[in-house]
Amino acid sequence: MRYFRVIGLAVAFCMALILSNTFVCQAYEDTQCFQCHTSAKKLIEATREIAKLRPAVKSAETSGEG
Amino acid sequence: MEPLAPHEKIFVDSDIVDDENHGEIACHECHGGNPEDPNWKTAHKGVVKDPTYPDATTACGDCHDEINENYQKSLHVSLRPYKLIIDKRASSNTVIRNKLGCAMNTHCSECHASCGQCHISRPNSVEGGFLDGHLFQKKPPMQEVCTACHGSRIQKEYLGEHEGLLPSIHKKKYMKCDKCHTGEEMHGNGKEYAHRYDVENGPKCVDCHKEIYKREAKNVITHRIHKEKASCHVCHSQPYNNCSACHVGKDKQGLAFFKTKSSWFDFKIGLNPLKSEKRPEKFVTLRHVPADKKTFDFYVKDALSNFDTLPTWKLATPHNIRLKTTQNASCNACHGNESLFLLEKDVEDSEKEANKNVLVPVNLIPKKQKWQPK
Repeated sequence: MRYFRVIGLAVAFCMALILSNTFVCQAYEDTQCFQCHTSAKKLIEATREIAKLRPAVKSAETSGEG
Repeated sequence: MEPLAPHEKIFVDSDIVDDENHGEIACHECHGGNPEDPNWKTAHKGVVKDPTYPDATTACGDCHDEINENYQKSLHVSLRPYKLIIDKRASSNTVIRNKLGCAMNTHCSECHASCGQCHISRPNSVEGGFLDGHLFQKKPPMQEVCTACHGSRIQKEYLGEHEGLLPSIHKKKYMKCDKCHTGEEMHGNGKEYAHRYDVENGPKCVDCHKEIYKREAKNVITHRIHKEKASCHVCHSQPYNNCSACHVGKDKQGLAFFKTKSSWFDFKIGLNPLKSEKRPEKFVTLRHVPADKKTFDFYVKDALSNFDTLPTWKLATPHNIRLKTTQNASCNACHGNESLFLLEKDVEDSEKEANKNVLVPVNLIPKKQKWQPK
């Protein structure tokens, strides 16, 4: 009987661990950051918008080996 | 290296949630911003692109405490040798030094690494972008990280991309940078070094080639005779790239630029400017670096008024090693061969004083040999 109780406790502990991990991952995946940064379509749209607003970042005058 | 498309740079692989070590850390915990905000423009307010630079303590330090402890002193992060060299060449005038400091912040401080810029993204100096969808790379990929910065010289030499020159024998053995340059070397050991060649756990050829001085080794006589006389590179390097006269400035739009005057292939043996217990050799290979008295003239004239305190031909360890080279084909391929040595006539008048300690006087060139080892 005692033996089964120990096994039962161990199983419950493992289940709790697995479930808590699942919830963390779930929460992580639900964020705006994750939703957008894992979608190529959304990123293409956003980066095109950014490109219109931001000027070039590299000077065309750079020449030679660095 | 071709930069990534803007969206590729920031595309996150959803597999990151399966990373047992990093997958549970939410984006905003390292990068800031507001994950609840549905508008991406306002959600990014306060976002830090690289939370590992200049201080990696918050992002990485909790778990990687030992590496983080030495991080700030790693030469890839501190750039200390650059600062020391420019400092030594600089004028002592305070006004000039302040202007020089601004120029250095604009042009020199950008070329650093960080935890993130090796293990997550390409370095900023090559326009960044995730290496593999923000998945953490234990070993940074050679061509996207190491040679992204060390491209003009190391990459092309190592891979044999220069016309007429062969790749390094180590490349032919499929060795990547980390085979010699270990994580320990990259991360630093907490000591503040003045030069990359001082780094205690930096690679040495004999770390692998331990047998070369043993009695039964092939070419043992040659190796023993030349030990402490010539560095390994003197016999085993091919010609390598040299650069001159880097000038920096800002264009009409205020964007920083640099221009180097020329680059050329050469192989020059000179006197060892960094003679030490670790590098006792009399002769080493020297490379002309793009240092110039007028590098910072755009910002302030005569900034490097003590330019001649350091040579412009510097100790080099070209990464194009071969077992057999032109200069080691026979004793007299090198002995008595003036063209291999850096002589006074090889150096521009304006740089003679700076290089006086590395030039080889003609009487020091090893004499032709009658005897040849078997």
